Amino acid sequence: MRDVYAAGIGITSFTRLEYPLVEIAAYPGLMAMRESGITKIDQLYVANMGAARVNHQSGLASAVVDNLSLTPAGAETIENGPASGASAIKQGFLAVASGMYDTVMVIGAERMREINALEATDFVATLTHPLAEHIYGVTLPSLAGMFARLYMEKYGVTSRHLAMVAVKNHKHAMDNFYAHLHEEITLEGILDSPDALTNNPVVADPLRYYDMCPVSDGGACLILTAAEIAKKTGKPMVRLAGVGQATDTHAVHDRKDPTELLAVREAAKRSLAMAGVKPLDVHVAELHDAFTILEIVESEEVGFFEKGQGHIALQEGYTELGGKLPINPSGGLKAKGHPVGATGVGQAHEIVLQLWGEAAKRQVKNAKVGFTCNFGGFGNNVVCLTFIREG
Amino acid sequence: MERDIYAYRCRRCGHVQYPYRTICCNCRANDHNEFDIVPLPKKGRLLTFTRLFNPPSDYSTVFLSLGMVELENGSRITGQLNIETPEIGMEVRAEVEVVRRDEYNKYYGMVFYEA
Repeated sequence: MRDVYAAGIGITSFTRLEYPLVEIAAYPGLMAMRESGITKIDQLYVANMGAARVNHQSGLASAVVDNLSLTPAGAETIENGPASGASAIKQGFLAVASGMYDTVMVIGAERMREINALEATDFVATLTHPLAEHIYGVTLPSLAGMFARLYMEKYGVTSRHLAMVAVKNHKHAMDNFYAHLHEEITLEGILDSPDALTNNPVVADPLRYYDMCPVSDGGACLILTAAEIAKKTGKPMVRLAGVGQATDTHAVHDRKDPTELLAVREAAKRSLAMAGVKPLDVHVAELHDAFTILEIVESEEVGFFEKGQGHIALQEGYTELGGKLPINPSGGLKAKGHPVGATGVGQAHEIVLQLWGEAAKRQVKNAKVGFTCNFGGFGNNVVCLTFIREG
Repeated sequence: MERDIYAYRCRRCGHVQYPYRTICCNCRANDHNEFDIVPLPKKGRLLTFTRLFNPPSDYSTVFLSLGMVELENGSRITGQLNIETPEIGMEVRAEVEVVRRDEYNKYYGMVFYEA
């Protein structure tokens, strides 16, 4: 396999976007090409989860490749639930590493706000097991609620710890122009004040409104290419050094210990091993905090902290900007937003920006090794990426 | 009429799996349909639960009470709860009732009550 480099990135705001899905996908592609100077694209991968259902559009990649006037380049739509983004990056990686293509463009795009929030939650709930979960009215927030209750009971995590994740990530997002929520929140406002139950109502107890990510539209792009082409961009050389994926049971109740996210553990292990680094070599990470509890648990499963210690590290400021291992400097899914199919590419966008040293106010100093965890289903399909800056 | 929810016992290794998989998750060695269909027990212990205050659009209730239960035979199932104040570890018993209705169908599943 030859080495694969991240040579160009682009992103839209993650928010409610009032333009067509195809343009949400195309705009970050244009940005990435313009900034990198790379215009010869051999293959396009478009990550998307719900266009056929939500936007009445199938074959999205065919539409995007035409919209960007990249025809006759090959184009494929990749659907892997909320992990579609990192899955598409994986396909791009394989294509360049194998030598089949020199340069591929990976785009993630989703437009969920075309429908209302209830319909959007119903749409995402199609990820659950049709016979063992969906018929009962199970949705992703309810799985997260049941998971959180069990986890909190077992490890002494409290609602306060969960709220700290939200406060941290909202604070990080204040410095991210492209984030969905530019809203600084406090423990007082969402937990302690007499108005807290109104500000922050219970959604799936013990999880509350501010424990959940918003429903976002958005697109992001990553251009992957071989070393010779990446060198010409003049940017620091950032190598996609590790790609790891793992799966777990479809129905969450089927897991031996439902407080463990084995697919996260395995995908992270594979990704880091391929990159030849250890969890504590990582300088900056984007974890899939669709629910606050997930940031804490993923930080343990990927090996940053011992099991049961993630909330302690959080509480001690270890994972905030300025801490030893900043997690979700972009604001994470919690505050940057979660346009499902685009999220994994959005995470990679943030890590590449960090490793280039171009993250401005939210820059993690001297970041050389970056890590992303893109979590599909409720942990049944996870893709982890490790990026390393060379030189 | 007494209704049941069925699980699948592998004829090679005896493992009872629910929900259905074409290949047994335990021995990973069975041939097509090498399962005996067995009813799941209706008594168990509540593993975890939640009240979902934004239930799917097929429901018109204020909240939906959901839980995971470990049944007497060790199988686990996700179901609805009809319990005022659920607690982790409490003994529960199930009835098989309609758990979801949409325009065309009704779906039966386990609803748990305090034992």
